[in-house]
Amino acid sequence: MIHPFRTLVAAALMTASLLNPGVVGVADASAASTKAAGLRATLNTLLQEHVYLAAAATGAALGGRDDEFKAAASALDGNSVAIGQAIGSVYGADAEKAFLPLWRRHIGFAVDYTVGVATKDTAKAEKAVNDLIEYGADFGAFLSAANPNLPKGAVAELVKHHVVTLKDVIDAQARKDPARAYAAIRTAAGHMQMIADPLADAIVAQFPDKFSG
Amino acid sequence: MRRRLTVGMLALIATMAAARGLSADVAGPVVNVRLFQYHPQVLTVATATRVVWTNDDDIVHTVTTIPGVAAERGFARTLDGKGASTAVTFAEPGVYPYACERHPHMRGEVRVEAREPDAPTKGDRP
Repeated sequence: MIHPFRTLVAAALMTASLLNPGVVGVADASAASTKAAGLRATLNTLLQEHVYLAAAATGAALGGRDDEFKAAASALDGNSVAIGQAIGSVYGADAEKAFLPLWRRHIGFAVDYTVGVATKDTAKAEKAVNDLIEYGADFGAFLSAANPNLPKGAVAELVKHHVVTLKDVIDAQARKDPARAYAAIRTAAGHMQMIADPLADAIVAQFPDKFSG
Repeated sequence: MRRRLTVGMLALIATMAAARGLSADVAGPVVNVRLFQYHPQVLTVATATRVVWTNDDDIVHTVTTIPGVAAERGFARTLDGKGASTAVTFAEPGVYPYACERHPHMRGEVRVEAREPDAPTKGDRP
């Protein structure tokens, strides 16, 4: 069952893509009928959803809204599972099994950062940032091992940028500055296209027969 | 003369044994570390088997027994990036669960049985 939170986000993304396909990284809505474009659209949707749900979870946590935090965290994990399934659909069950705990790990570090900020524990917050940056190398190594078209260093840089944009969201939420927070969420979500598009392109390049037509 | 012969014969046997790669440790299987997993995840071997881990990932992993394994039976080895390898010889029967210290979700296990070592196979590493 898809979490209601995710359904809401998916509907918003779908509406946005119809009104402005560039929002979800699809240059032309009709081109989504090709398998490669479909993969690109799926990855963009899932990774942008990740940002929106993560921001919902951190915002609820920092606002002391416990029930909302639990709902958002649950939906965020549903999104993680869906991303893992997307990876598994290309690389098999073993890769999916390896991917999910690795992906969940970076969410754990983001939670650590949020807690550090909320409790004004600078050491905890700084450690979480360092963990997230180090995670970039891990994620880069994983994708590079799965797909030689994805250089480890390049992926690590993209993850680092994702970390920085999400940090901006959490910092703005902690300062109770909603205008800045939502501007940062838009930036963070928009950045995910820089991960989704190269990932999709690399997969298509690796498996041209699977994505032809 | 007899003593010299005996010593000479022993030296010859030792040389031949070394040339064939025989040692007190029996050459054994390989665990590949790939996509942040140990392959195979569970390995069953005989005592005195030497297990080799090779790293196919471009990142540092470790092969470290998890807390709960007796200290004298524990091991902690680092695989410094792609192509690195390490080996452990299992002298005592038992179960040896291990993990990567840097990526705790990576888990593996070596089960050591008290029996004669298997004959080396083509894929084994000396």
